[in-house]
Amino acid sequence: MKIKPSLSDLLNSSFRSILKNKGRTLLTSLGIIIGVSSVILLTSIGNGLKSYVSDQFETLGANTIFVSPGMIFSEGGRFNQGAEQFLSLSFDKKDISNLSRNFRSDTIIPLSQTSAEVKALNKTLRSISIIGTTDDYGQEGNATPDPKNGRWFSAEESAKGSKVAILGSNVATDLFGNVNPLGRKIIIKGKTLKVIGIANQQGSSFGGQPVDDYIYVPLDIVHSLSGNEDINSIQIKTPSKDEVPQRKLEIEEVLLDRYEKDTFTVFDSSQLLSSINNIISVLTVALTGIAAISLIVGGIGIMNIMLVTVSERTREIGLRKAIGAYPRAILVQFLIEATILSGIGGIIGILLGTLGSLAINNFFPTNVTLQSVILAFGVSAIVGIVFGVAPARKASKLSPIEALRYE
Amino acid sequence: MKKSSSNNKSPRVVLNLKNIVKTYVSGNTSFNALDDVDVQIKEGEFVSITGPSGSGKSTLMHIIGLLDLPTSGQVILEDRDISRLKEHELAQIRNVTLGFVFQQFNLLPKTSALENVLLPLLYSDIDKTLHKQKGIDMLTKVGLLDKLKNTPAQLSGGQQQRVAIARALINNPKIILADEPTGNLDSRSGKEVMKFFHYLHEKEGRTIVLVTHDMELANQAKRKIVIRDGKIYSQ
Ligand SMILES: Nc1ncnc2c1ncn2[C@@H]1O[C@H](COP(=O)(O)OP(=O)(O)O)[C@@H](O)[C@H]1O
Ligand SMILES: [Mg+2]
Repeated sequence: MKIKPSLSDLLNSSFRSILKNKGRTLLTSLGIIIGVSSVILLTSIGNGLKSYVSDQFETLGANTIFVSPGMIFSEGGRFNQGAEQFLSLSFDKKDISNLSRNFRSDTIIPLSQTSAEVKALNKTLRSISIIGTTDDYGQEGNATPDPKNGRWFSAEESAKGSKVAILGSNVATDLFGNVNPLGRKIIIKGKTLKVIGIANQQGSSFGGQPVDDYIYVPLDIVHSLSGNEDINSIQIKTPSKDEVPQRKLEIEEVLLDRYEKDTFTVFDSSQLLSSINNIISVLTVALTGIAAISLIVGGIGIMNIMLVTVSERTREIGLRKAIGAYPRAILVQFLIEATILSGIGGIIGILLGTLGSLAINNFFPTNVTLQSVILAFGVSAIVGIVFGVAPARKASKLSPIEALRYE
Repeated sequence: MKKSSSNNKSPRVVLNLKNIVKTYVSGNTSFNALDDVDVQIKEGEFVSITGPSGSGKSTLMHIIGLLDLPTSGQVILEDRDISRLKEHELAQIRNVTLGFVFQQFNLLPKTSALENVLLPLLYSDIDKTLHKQKGIDMLTKVGLLDKLKNTPAQLSGGQQQRVAIARALINNPKIILADEPTGNLDSRSGKEVMKFFHYLHEKEGRTIVLVTHDMELANQAKRKIVIRDGKIYSQ
């Protein structure tokens, strides 16, 4: 059967009736506007966060393999929430030489960490993290100073355990204020070190590496500060990222000679990235779900107004029926009106959400995806249909006589 | 439209109501607004239904117009028993065969005269490209060519009722049903409306059923059905 009236006639008349009541339209759509814009905003923040995080990990290098004590990942690739990850296992120099011997083409970087009081000029800072590592760490672009800010320590200084230090930019200002720290002395547990570089400012880096708060020194310095030979973690750089999957297995094999299975973890940045993305996704979905509740509230608002509209227009409905509108024509007409109302709300919400996310983008990464726009618009249209059904049915069931007599 | 039928051959019955009862129930009392009513209306007739207020005229017209169903009895419109029809089929008959004129005009507010007149076409099979011209023709016929774009609020009562008549005519219906069409009009506009009904009857051969409590108007019809307390008093 041919649809009467045609869809274009219905759309046309719905739009006109909506435009005749602009104020009502805006108020009715307000709930949807708020719901859709918050959905857009929150997903854009989630997406922005994800791409920000992957950018950060890109700088870590796709060819880097990390070895850490404890089990970092649980089954399914999530971060392990148990205490196992803090297992007090540590590596030592023998592991480094074993790895170097087995993987000659790779760069093996040991990392040791201790915490100590640091003095300079007349300032004292308590519990500053001191990272002990080799020249390779700086060569690979980690915490490397700009040339104007000095240099990283050399292979020779690294091997001899020279008393030199590179300051994180926060530590540098905290200790020296406006004074240029280059060439000056700092004292850690009675040891006097010479500042030879200031690491580039990294900003608040995601993933828990506040590079700006660290002091970097040759490995042996940390060992003599802490009084042990522990190596807390190891980074292995392969010539290219293609070797990474195979190398992870080989490294694990080497380490299994000396350590129990599951007391350490060999992983690469993509694993780390996917775990963090996992967390962000869960957060985004949860937040978006909360925002979606306001969409439902918006839908109820539309239902409310449509019910009012149906009683306001009872005589019109009666007249339309008297002159030949069959029930379904009335039903479709009111459904379309409800859908257009929520659709308009959806479009305004998308615009506001996008503008909001552009504004936020100035100080926090956001990213509006086409997917989220389509999703938000689809959901708002569905909300219109779902919550439009009850009023539309009510309208279509009115008896023409009673409707015409309605005052 | 056919001219009125010639005298030697009796015109056919377009509307046949048999033993119509309409009962309204409120609470535990029931009330027969129509009580065993038989009415026959022939093609091309101009019939008035008259009687005192509350006698059941509107109730009868609603049943004739398929806007309401009787509690019992048969309504046969053009040889079809309408009790067997579904709601959308009734709607289609109202759209194509019947044209309604109400006391209240029942025009859509904030909507132009032309769009009001075109409303029934929205629910018809008539080719959309023809709609607008038909509407203009119809408004020309009722003398409102210069008011196409006016909304009801910008028209006098008589003009509004003429728009409503144009709307009733747009689908070229056989039967025009009018319930107190002059009830809200001053006497001059009322006379114009009546003149127009006469024209539709005499020149276009349409069947006209006029409901009115006004004896003077009722007497202008070719046949008068008088109803009292839900029963036919004379016809
Ligand atoms: N929906 C209804 N419910 C109850 N009683 C009704 C209803 N409609 C009409 N009536 C009653 O039926 C009688 C006939 O009404 P109506 O046909 O409107 O009279 P008329 O048009 O002749 O003035 C009146 O007594 C009226 O009160
Ligand atoms: Mg009446």
